[in-house]
Amino acid sequence: MTITRDTLLAAIDRITAAMERDFDMLNSADGALGDGDLGVTMTRGMRAITAMKDDLPDDIGMALFQCAQAFTKSSGSSYGTLMATGLMSAAKTLRGEESIDAARVPELIAAARDKMQERGKAELGGKTVLDSLDYVAKATSGADDMAQAAADAVDQAMVDFRDKPATVGRARIFGEKSIGMDDPGMLAMQSVVKAATGR
Amino acid sequence: MKKILNNPENYVDEMLAGMTAAHPEYYRLHGDSGKVVARAKAGKSGKVGIVTGGGSGHLPIFTGYVGEGLLDACAIGDVFASPSAEQMADAIRAADSGAGVLRLYGNYGGDVMNFDMAGELVEFEDITCTTVLLADDVASAPPEEAEKRRGVAGMVYAFKMAGAAAEEGRDLDGVTAVAQKAADACRSIGAALSPCTVPQAGKPTFEIADDEMEMGMGIHGEPGVWRGKLKTADEIAGEMMDRLLADMPLTSGDRVSVMVNSLGATPPEELYILYRMVKSRLEEAGATIVMPLVGRYATSMEMAGVSFTLCKLDEDLEKLLNAPCDCAFWRVG
Repeated sequence: MTITRDTLLAAIDRITAAMERDFDMLNSADGALGDGDLGVTMTRGMRAITAMKDDLPDDIGMALFQCAQAFTKSSGSSYGTLMATGLMSAAKTLRGEESIDAARVPELIAAARDKMQERGKAELGGKTVLDSLDYVAKATSGADDMAQAAADAVDQAMVDFRDKPATVGRARIFGEKSIGMDDPGMLAMQSVVKAATGR
Repeated sequence: MKKILNNPENYVDEMLAGMTAAHPEYYRLHGDSGKVVARAKAGKSGKVGIVTGGGSGHLPIFTGYVGEGLLDACAIGDVFASPSAEQMADAIRAADSGAGVLRLYGNYGGDVMNFDMAGELVEFEDITCTTVLLADDVASAPPEEAEKRRGVAGMVYAFKMAGAAAEEGRDLDGVTAVAQKAADACRSIGAALSPCTVPQAGKPTFEIADDEMEMGMGIHGEPGVWRGKLKTADEIAGEMMDRLLADMPLTSGDRVSVMVNSLGATPPEELYILYRMVKSRLEEAGATIVMPLVGRYATSMEMAGVSFTLCKLDEDLEKLLNAPCDCAFWRVG
């Protein structure tokens, strides 16, 4: 399977719809552990991308770069900047390419995870979006049905981390109280990945 | 919530509109985001630019210190929220006149992430950036983890000294070195009596009983060292000075500047009551006080409380502290 501008545009539509649907859910999950604006961050970012999607170039790298910029313009929230960082990482790798082999997706996600980890100065295992991406990168690598593997991986990450305490990010100050609660950033990534893969 | 405002959503935009209208000789809005403030009159061409940024709610920090001998531009977010990376990039563009730009701001995760990202954005435009972070709040982490400390009022000294160095014509490395030296020379601690309310949240940042205080609390209500019954002014000042001097011992002959700063609601009267003890502790240590700053320099909306900052001076830092500067909130010379 190859990924082109059309694949990207269809995914943008699905992710935007998912963020509008999950607006309240993400705000309230974030309100329990942070400042309660994650739904706002994600819908603002996706609306900004949707607003300019017709002008996105065929060059996948440049298109992803413009998506990253939309996030950096629409929000100063750490999560928005992390999204932009991940997109920027893929954008740099794919610059100049108009169609890419889907088999490269796991390595792109792993590279995005590493860049986001560097920018967020956070370790894996802290119950953050990085853990979700880590699960996706590992599960998709070599998988026959990559889309299904990615969707299952984000679900599995939620299950595995639910009963652990958050040790990085703002949720960390809640320590033991975060046990049993889903991390809002992981919930957002779960929605994004499921929408992107059409699951 | 009892505040003088219109729609809380427009709090920062309306504040900036009023501030630039009241002081057009100092400030102007730059770019189309509406969240970047630059000097009304750009600095000399070839001067190193200095930018800062962070959440609103701390005036005169951050935007207030844009001015001659201080900052060139500032990106400002919603109350207690980081500005976006794109807004920071705009501030860097406004501050650049070809000699590079120093990013000088407080050590908060969101701000660091966004300023790093902003640096990546302007790299494409061949603007060279350096970074110095303020991490002066001694209550926020022990000395062995000093790099994890949050940045608070020490920022004012770093703005002043780096700003004077840039005005003198020092190059990017020179201005960055001054900023780092100033940041390393500052130690701060705060104590809070009552919380503040973020307009868009509508409720206080924390709860505290009428007869209680919290030692070491952060400027966004981050937990401090202890919470207990309110003490007398001399006891509060004495403990705050003990904690600062334990972290940065002073010896006979040292020269220091000290800031006794209101977090918002505490009146100048009470700051002067506190200053007596501050002065006697510094004199006991044998230090000479240079340019004491008593007033409202770095706030947390209407929080009642105070912060002290010590800045240990060498000859160069003292000269830069005394150099002229001018903004709507502070003038030297």
